[in-house]
Amino acid sequence: MRTRARPADRLRALQDALAGNARSPALLRSEPPVGAQESADVARLLNAGCAILASSVLADSSMEHYRGSFENKAMFVPPIVSTLALIASLHGASDRSARAERRRDAIYALSAAAAAAGFGFHLYNVGKRDGGFCWENFFYAAPIGAPWALLLSGTLGVAAERVRDTRPGGIPHIFGMAAGRLLAGLTSAGLLGTVGEVWLLHFRGAFQDPFMYLPVTLPPVGAGLLASAALSSKPKKRPLTRFWMKLVTVLGLAGMGFHIYGVHRNMGGWRNWSQNVLNGPPIPAPPSFTGLGLAGLAALRLLEGPKNE
Amino acid sequence: MTEDDPTRVPRAKNGRAPDVLRVGGWVPMRCFADDEQVDFVIVGTGAGGGTLSCKLSEYGFSVVALDVGPYWRPLEDFASDEHEQYKLYWTDERISGGEDALELGRNNSGQSVGGSMVHFAMVSLRFRPEWFKSRSLLGYGVDWPVDWREMWGYYREVEENLCLAGPIKYPWGPPRPRYPYRPHELNAAAKVLARGCEKLGIKWCSTPIATLSAPRGLAHPCVYRGFCIAGCSTNAKQSAINTWLPRALKAGAEIRDLAMVGRVELDANGRVRGVHYHREGQWRFQRARNVVVAGYAIETPRLLLNSACPQAPDGLANSSGLVGKYLMAHCNQGVYGVFDDEIRWYKAPPSLSLTEHWNYTDEGKDFDGGYAYMSQGPLPVEWSGTQTGNHKLWGESLLRDMERYNHYAGLKIVGECQAMETNTVRLADEKDRFGLPIANVTFAHSDNDKKLIAHAKNFMRTALEAAGGYDIWAEETETAHLMGTCRMGDDPRSSVVNPDGRTWDVPNLWICDGSLFPTSGGVNPSLTIQAMACRIADRIKALAARAEV
Ligand SMILES: Cc1cc2nc3c(=O)[nH]c(=O)nc-3n(C[C@H](O)[C@H](O)[C@H](O)COP(=O)(O)OP(=O)(O)OC[C@H]3O[C@@H](n4cnc5c(N)ncnc54)[C@H](O)[C@@H]3O)c2cc1C
Ligand code: SF4
Repeated sequence: MRTRARPADRLRALQDALAGNARSPALLRSEPPVGAQESADVARLLNAGCAILASSVLADSSMEHYRGSFENKAMFVPPIVSTLALIASLHGASDRSARAERRRDAIYALSAAAAAAGFGFHLYNVGKRDGGFCWENFFYAAPIGAPWALLLSGTLGVAAERVRDTRPGGIPHIFGMAAGRLLAGLTSAGLLGTVGEVWLLHFRGAFQDPFMYLPVTLPPVGAGLLASAALSSKPKKRPLTRFWMKLVTVLGLAGMGFHIYGVHRNMGGWRNWSQNVLNGPPIPAPPSFTGLGLAGLAALRLLEGPKNE
Repeated sequence: MTEDDPTRVPRAKNGRAPDVLRVGGWVPMRCFADDEQVDFVIVGTGAGGGTLSCKLSEYGFSVVALDVGPYWRPLEDFASDEHEQYKLYWTDERISGGEDALELGRNNSGQSVGGSMVHFAMVSLRFRPEWFKSRSLLGYGVDWPVDWREMWGYYREVEENLCLAGPIKYPWGPPRPRYPYRPHELNAAAKVLARGCEKLGIKWCSTPIATLSAPRGLAHPCVYRGFCIAGCSTNAKQSAINTWLPRALKAGAEIRDLAMVGRVELDANGRVRGVHYHREGQWRFQRARNVVVAGYAIETPRLLLNSACPQAPDGLANSSGLVGKYLMAHCNQGVYGVFDDEIRWYKAPPSLSLTEHWNYTDEGKDFDGGYAYMSQGPLPVEWSGTQTGNHKLWGESLLRDMERYNHYAGLKIVGECQAMETNTVRLADEKDRFGLPIANVTFAHSDNDKKLIAHAKNFMRTALEAAGGYDIWAEETETAHLMGTCRMGDDPRSSVVNPDGRTWDVPNLWICDGSLFPTSGGVNPSLTIQAMACRIADRIKALAARAEV
């Protein structure tokens, strides 16, 4: 039976968590315990999500920075770091052991740090142009949201290592919080951030195709569902949230299809691929949603508990 | 000659017209017989005539639109070659004289289905509201017989039809809805303008422009190759030929290419009966209940004057004596400078940024009216013309300066030209290839124009310097868009047409193009021409509902 006080409790728990309260309330620390196999499986799912995010960054940043002639040496960093993150993720995804791997850990931490620096660079690039922080520069200077996917790949990867480290029968914790809840929150925030970037770029494209509204409407619902799962008090089945995460996963792949179609709408179509792939909508970008969808599914596995699968 | 030479053999006939959006494609076209009395014959298919053809046919009127120009297929017929593209200009014989004789053709008149918009630079600006009442509110020129608020709505309609790409917020004038598409990325030439404005502390913005920043149906987004005024081969440019005219065809209009109208015929009751036109080697006569002349500021008065008959010995609709008078040409001087950085100004549409500061600021001026100035991007042949003409370089010095082509940037005005009765279009004794008397054009700048030009050149020089330019020089003579010659007004004695575009003298003869302008404003005219065409279409619809058409 639900009691009336619960929503308020949840809110307080969230406030405490956001305020960095060291002793997170019991709610945010609680979660079903997991077995060794389960924690490794969840971590592998997370690694798979990270692999997709990293490959999206690898392809996208290589293309965009190639387009920008690698004018600044620092522009080599994201392709290199995302390659490392991709290798680490593939390694993790095929690793059945229930123990964290130091080198993976280090690479993930490195990519998160590189992404944070990337934000700084991109922000600087927007601000230094004539007109400063104006719409035109947000549209056409270094895309402010692009490093986001690398940041997510890094942080989710670090989280994956923590989950893997859970002792058999224990509750996976990350920085004092239940891993499932933290991952659900992180993925939810990741979805919203990605939606922000997509919105900016689809707004730049004037939402000329109605399908361009999908990635700014479907994922926010998923983000909401995940956030509510993160704050719920009881492990239970969440078919709707699960469905929505699958939808987001598929959306990322469908987006790639739409972008391939979008490239063809430029002068010369696919015959003129060498220009249009750079000019048209970025084909590698949408799978970020796929990576996040997988992370959401991993979080749900922890939140729902193995029996609820 | 091949059979598909659009300059020799009409393409729009036998029930079909070119589908300009598909290579080799066709769209069905309703066809009318010459002796079928159609509701409207429209002479000219440019900004005015193209728009009106669309609107009237969508309102259910039967429309035949005639244009002496070819029906181009932009995806196939347009070469990346400036010389080849001269085929878009009206280069038939004309006489040009006066103190500041106009160079006719390239920079002011086109001859194509789609009119001058086929090679226009796509800058699409609204008038400053006060200009519609410049005599009452600003103390110069004459008032237009329309209200700016009404025009504001029609501007919107045109902006949507052309899917304009423009800034999120336009910094001058009353609020307007967001432009349908987002602004384009600025090229280096546009950034020079921006930097100059920032240094001088005046506002600038990315130009509202009729080329796509994202796909639209079958039309591709702009590829930034900068061939715009030589004709856009991607259909990114949104103009009459790929927006209004396809809509018109769909709504049942007939468009006849390579069809030169030589005379509008008046009946004994002083009403027009139809038009005599030349197509496929012979003169024909199309019957019509109404005739709209939309041939632009030289050809419209020429046709009216060439249509003189015993009932109207001075030409049609000319009881005021004003047909062909008050010709205006926008001042169009440029200031150019060299920059250390590579600019490559030919890349992208030529005018991606602009400032209307001097259109909206009335203080600090020693002249009436205003001007906008824009970034520039002349193609090499055009630029060498400017260098030999205005810059007076030749031989070795020309060669050396042409080597700096990629380091040049420039600013150019669209400056308000005062209407003077002495600037005219009349008939010459010489005849053209159809045996019709050609136009004799006389033009001189007013003193006010000269002051405006001096002010603008000074200001732009300072702006270029502030942006880091050196070796700066200014153009002496240059004009752009034509306007006037059949001015619109409230009074039959001082205007040719009434506020509905209907000639005062002949109730079923209308004018709908740039020749209606009583004043020129300091912005490029095509948006206003199209907005006015939409307004005239609505007026015609309303009048028809009351059986007054
Ligand atoms: C190089 C260039 C750049 C420009 N850039 C801009 C810009 O950036 N922004 C802007 O707003 N404006 C621009 N303009 C101006 C704009 O194109 C014109 O003002 C506008 O197209 C005029 O519209 P109109 O309907 O009056 O005439 P037009 O568009 O010229 O149409 C007239 C048509 O009538 C036809 N015609 C004439 N007489 C006859 C006849 N007797 N029988 C059959 N057909 C006939 C002609 O062939 C022509 O196709 C530019 C013009 C040029 C030349
Ligand atoms: S720059 Fe854009 S608008 Fe101009 S011709 Fe090329 S594609 Fe057309």
